[in-house]
Amino acid sequence: MRRPPQIPGGESGRSRVGLVAMLLVLAGLYAFPSFVQSPYALHIMILLFLGTIMGESWNIIGGYTGQYSVGHAAYFGAGAYGTMILLQKWEIAPWKGVFAGIAAALVLSLVIGSICFRLRGPYFVLASIAVAEIVRLTALNLPNVTNGAEGILMSDLPPLSIGGRVVTDFVSKVPYYYIGLTLALFTILVTWLVQHSKLGYCFQAIREDQDAAHSLGINLSLYKNCALGISATLTSLAGSFYAIYIKFIDPTTVLALDLSVQIVLIAIIGGIGTIFGPVVGSLVLVPLAEALRSNIVAQWLINSGLVREDSGLGVFLKENLAHAHVLIYGILVVVVILFMPEGVLGYVRKLSARKKG
Amino acid sequence: MALLEIKNVSKFFGGLAANSDVSFSMDEGMIMGLIGPNGAGKTTLFNCITGYYPPSRGEIVFAGRRMNGLQPDRVCKLGMARTWQKVRPLAKLSVLDNVMVGALCRTNSLSQAQELAMEQIRVVKLDHKTAFPAGGLTIGERKKLEVARVLATQPKLLLLDEVMGGLNPAESEEIIRLILAIKQKGVTQMVIEHDMKAIMRISDRIVVLNSGEKLAEGTPEEIVANPEVVTAYLGSD
Ligand SMILES: Nc1ncnc2c1ncn2[C@@H]1O[C@H](COP(=O)(O)OP(=O)(O)O)[C@@H](O)[C@H]1O
Ligand SMILES: [Mg+2]
Repeated sequence: MRRPPQIPGGESGRSRVGLVAMLLVLAGLYAFPSFVQSPYALHIMILLFLGTIMGESWNIIGGYTGQYSVGHAAYFGAGAYGTMILLQKWEIAPWKGVFAGIAAALVLSLVIGSICFRLRGPYFVLASIAVAEIVRLTALNLPNVTNGAEGILMSDLPPLSIGGRVVTDFVSKVPYYYIGLTLALFTILVTWLVQHSKLGYCFQAIREDQDAAHSLGINLSLYKNCALGISATLTSLAGSFYAIYIKFIDPTTVLALDLSVQIVLIAIIGGIGTIFGPVVGSLVLVPLAEALRSNIVAQWLINSGLVREDSGLGVFLKENLAHAHVLIYGILVVVVILFMPEGVLGYVRKLSARKKG
Repeated sequence: MALLEIKNVSKFFGGLAANSDVSFSMDEGMIMGLIGPNGAGKTTLFNCITGYYPPSRGEIVFAGRRMNGLQPDRVCKLGMARTWQKVRPLAKLSVLDNVMVGALCRTNSLSQAQELAMEQIRVVKLDHKTAFPAGGLTIGERKKLEVARVLATQPKLLLLDEVMGGLNPAESEEIIRLILAIKQKGVTQMVIEHDMKAIMRISDRIVVLNSGEKLAEGTPEEIVANPEVVTAYLGSD
């Protein structure tokens, strides 16, 4: 007698509930701009999408394949610069320029992969940082191409027209909302496809034990480069999207180590190697970054009476908390690593499993 | 023609000769026992054969093909697969997924890989643990998983590195039966084992390594009767 093989995690009842919930969330996201007109709310949603795209992208190489790249700003920058340079210099529309960004990111990923994948563990991490810094310094010192430290300001975004009909002229945030949503869903779909294919098995085998994977017939450099290529492509999409949305890029925003670290944090805090971890990570980190940037936290501490505004501490917080995001991220990472090694998503799953069991 | 020929293989780590001028050959379908005291160079020989290290000298010929310089993944694809003395489960993956990784060596289809994997999981009798994460298995189960995973790559030659190490007698007996069943299917095997009784029982021929050198080779009867082996190895153990 043959027992039907169990598919891990494939309990059909639970997955049906999940499917319904997912459809509801999708419908809500689709309808959101019809109910909420606030540009700020749309802005936050767009940042959430951007965070998700970046986190999912990194997750492919970091979460599934276990290669902790802390140089993903290089691919983000490749997308941002590729799109922006073509638009500003040759008036090539961003939806074509995106592909130039992807091509640049892919070439870069092949170069970086061939250098860094010779190394393992912490050496790989350091090499990925170093190579991304080289990319940043190159961009900084090629003013003819990248406009150097001054950056590139977008002067004019042509309306998107399909077959002569104008689809959108990009005056409001709504078109960006839908582009962001589409890209975020696309990266989630790619992740799902990877996880449910031979690629996903090979990636995870490499993550769990590289030598064992190698001895089981997995070509390490082929699959590592493949993971990095997918990851770089998706990250460059995030960069292109960022460039056309913010309309200004320079090396310190789109190529900086800061950005590389943020990308990693989204995935780690959410839960690496899972499809929805980066979504959760984005939901945690984006509002936090926004609250810190707009000084909500300091204001809240003062308004609640915990800290007096004219006291030394109040002045200090108001002036410095907005710049303390790196410190706060650091604390957050320590907390997550100590108390939720599987990320927020893994932690929640464990809690709910404990309740059931 | 021999399936595997080891020709004058040496492996040096700095000044240490972990393998020194080792030669022997294996016919298809046989079980070759590989014995020797700790540090004799048995695992190193496996590492050289399967492409984990390049041998410093000598030649490895498998099915008429020179294997020197091939990477472990190519070696596995060509039909030689090994288990690890210190087991290497893919800890976060389920038992099924672990074995599927092996099966994916031969197919790109997940459903086919799953079928192949289930077959091997049944062979090693781990089917009650299919969905269990490999990191949570007992040592006995891990050893079985190691065997199932490597069988799923459908090797012509299987190299087993101390798969009975750390097991209780009942578990060891299960593994012995498993090795004999694998032989029945026509898979050639090289088996490193410390348990003398077990190795004498399953092996068609035995090679004895000592300090990296081949001390003796012969049938189990010849090996137990060899005075050099008795003094150098069996006597002192
Ligand atoms: N990677 C290595 N680097 C240096 N020395 C090694 C390495 N691998 C094995 N050795 C040495 O080679 C000798 C043989 O080891 P090994 O092949 O593991 O023996 P066995 O498997 O027979 O117990 C030992 O002295 C061991 O310390
Ligand atoms: Mg050994």
